[in-house]
Amino acid sequence: MSSESIDIGLPKATEPASLAPILGKVARVVFRVLVVCFCLTPFLLVIAISLGEKIEGAAWVWGFEFTHYERFFAGADWPNSYSGIYLQKLWYSLYYALIAAPIAVVTAFPFTYFLTRLTRRAQTVWLIFLLSSLSLSEVFIVMGWDVLLSNRSGLPMVLRELGITDWMKATGWFDVAREWGLASPRDLKFKTSLFATVLTMSYLVWPYAVILLYPALSRLDNSTVEAARTMGAGPWAVMRTVILPTVRIPLIGTTLLLFVFLLGVYVSVTVFADPSQHTLAVSIYGSVRGSTLNAPFGAAQSVILLITAGLFLVLSQILVSYAEKRR
Amino acid sequence: MSDLVLKDIRKDFGSARAVDRINLTFRHGELTALLGPSGCGKTTLLRMIAGLEEPTRGQLLLGDTDITAQPAHKRKFGMVFQNFALFPHMRVIDNVAYSLAIEGMAKDARHKRALELLDLVQLADFGQRRIGELSGGQRQRVAIARALAQEPQVFLLDEPMSALDAKLREEMQVELRMLQQRLKITTIVVTHDQREAMTMADTIIVMSNGRAEQIGPPQDIYHRPANAFVADFIGRTNFVDGTVHSGSLRIGDQVFETNSTPNFADGSAVRVAIRPEMPSLDNTMPLSNRLTARITFVRNVGSTRDIHLDTPAGPMIVEYAIGENARDFAVGDQLDVHLPPSALHIFPAASTDRAA
Repeated sequence: MSSESIDIGLPKATEPASLAPILGKVARVVFRVLVVCFCLTPFLLVIAISLGEKIEGAAWVWGFEFTHYERFFAGADWPNSYSGIYLQKLWYSLYYALIAAPIAVVTAFPFTYFLTRLTRRAQTVWLIFLLSSLSLSEVFIVMGWDVLLSNRSGLPMVLRELGITDWMKATGWFDVAREWGLASPRDLKFKTSLFATVLTMSYLVWPYAVILLYPALSRLDNSTVEAARTMGAGPWAVMRTVILPTVRIPLIGTTLLLFVFLLGVYVSVTVFADPSQHTLAVSIYGSVRGSTLNAPFGAAQSVILLITAGLFLVLSQILVSYAEKRR
Repeated sequence: MSDLVLKDIRKDFGSARAVDRINLTFRHGELTALLGPSGCGKTTLLRMIAGLEEPTRGQLLLGDTDITAQPAHKRKFGMVFQNFALFPHMRVIDNVAYSLAIEGMAKDARHKRALELLDLVQLADFGQRRIGELSGGQRQRVAIARALAQEPQVFLLDEPMSALDAKLREEMQVELRMLQQRLKITTIVVTHDQREAMTMADTIIVMSNGRAEQIGPPQDIYHRPANAFVADFIGRTNFVDGTVHSGSLRIGDQVFETNSTPNFADGSAVRVAIRPEMPSLDNTMPLSNRLTARITFVRNVGSTRDIHLDTPAGPMIVEYAIGENARDFAVGDQLDVHLPPSALHIFPAASTDRAA
């Protein structure tokens, strides 16, 4: 009996060992297929569509032409006339993201620093709150700010009722606000304005900034801060000479990540930016889903936005490497 | 130059008292070791001296100046941290020159000074290295040079050797002591290593439960412990129980002569501390102060042997030097052990658990 059971058992025992490499290979192939299907294919499709041909009054067909890229850089009527309207939209995409991302990081940094100094329990409560705030969609956040900044019931109304608007008129600050696009001839007005657009965009990515900075700041060795203090460095000198340089890489990384994220923001710009200052994201949506139904042109704009984001990331990498070498 | 004086210093963390009623004077140019087990309050005391913690009560005086409320960056006492706390984003030379840069010294001048200090700690060629490229010992030297750059009136070191291996630790203890003697700078070292404290310090402050148990030169602390905790914490000690009758020490049925005349009430229970190297196992010994003993274990430890004895007063270890005319010992041998009067340190029985 015993020898029989051994004979039967031996092949069973060796089976998993012989299967393991095959299963490993299958898993690797499946992983690559998934990466190609879900990551690479959409990009390749967008590039392919951007080279397609738009049929006037109808949809589009596959093709291989660069007219949509030409339109982006020189306008639809090129070579008869030049228009840089889409370059301008790209500029506004960069402009808003370049302002909003650093604002979010600069304001999130001190908050996160002090958060890491709290007790573990307090940190956990704050992090849960921040993580749950990420579940709010852009639409919901923009709706909230829309109410807060609306002329009748929002901040302009509060300032008017408190008499601050009249005080600004009396002291000349109202004219300054008008020059900055924050007032109509009669009242303060935040919709539409650069201020409202950037504020909402910064607010949108602020929790991401905190969560991205948190690991680096919580790992910061407090004894280096104390060492600096014993060597005569006051609080600001400690921040400038020890804390900021120590976490410079996470700071740059967070800013870049938020910058790329903000390039694609749609709702905030649609609601708060002047139509003449709309971004490429709004234009892409207009091309793909709007009145023109020009998917190839929308795809071409997407490719250019993607390449621009990539160029900024590469440029930042080069600058950081250069700065590190000079240290 | 000025002495550093601590007057009635206390520190509470919530309901826990970390440091209690500390009155100390750190003399100018001396090296003082704060010695004690983990959690005894020595690091908290050092941090209060540095200005990194605020005392709950008490006063810190540097000469005639009250520095109790002065923040760390105004006090500018050089400090070496347990993990050295070097700035990883700076090269060695910039770490050392940090305090000078904060003072606003020009780059060339501060680098020149930093190189002098690196030369002092024998790292003259390491200025352009990154911190990650240094060994533990080199990092410690950089930390020392950095703390000395601002020419502090008081130099503080928090367990500076704990991150080093045993051999390097011994070397650095000697080097640090020689450096301190050269610079004649008031130095306070926190350590839980009594050997380190004995090697380096002019004065040792033994701490337990937030209090200073004994203050004195290393030899005094070792040979004349103030209480059972100090006797137990510093070096090795045999403890035997006894009683005091009419001013005499009685261990078991025997009366022992002592050098001190303990002022105990008749019949008081006492604990007697005996250093292992003090009892004698020689063939010739005085008739008094003897205990009969049986050898239970012999442990060779290089130049000495530890003889483990079972005596009527309890187990005892005697350190016996190996040399000419040394006796041979075997487990099971019966012999007499002589306890010289000077070897018997008598403490109240209740004081022995102070360190717990």
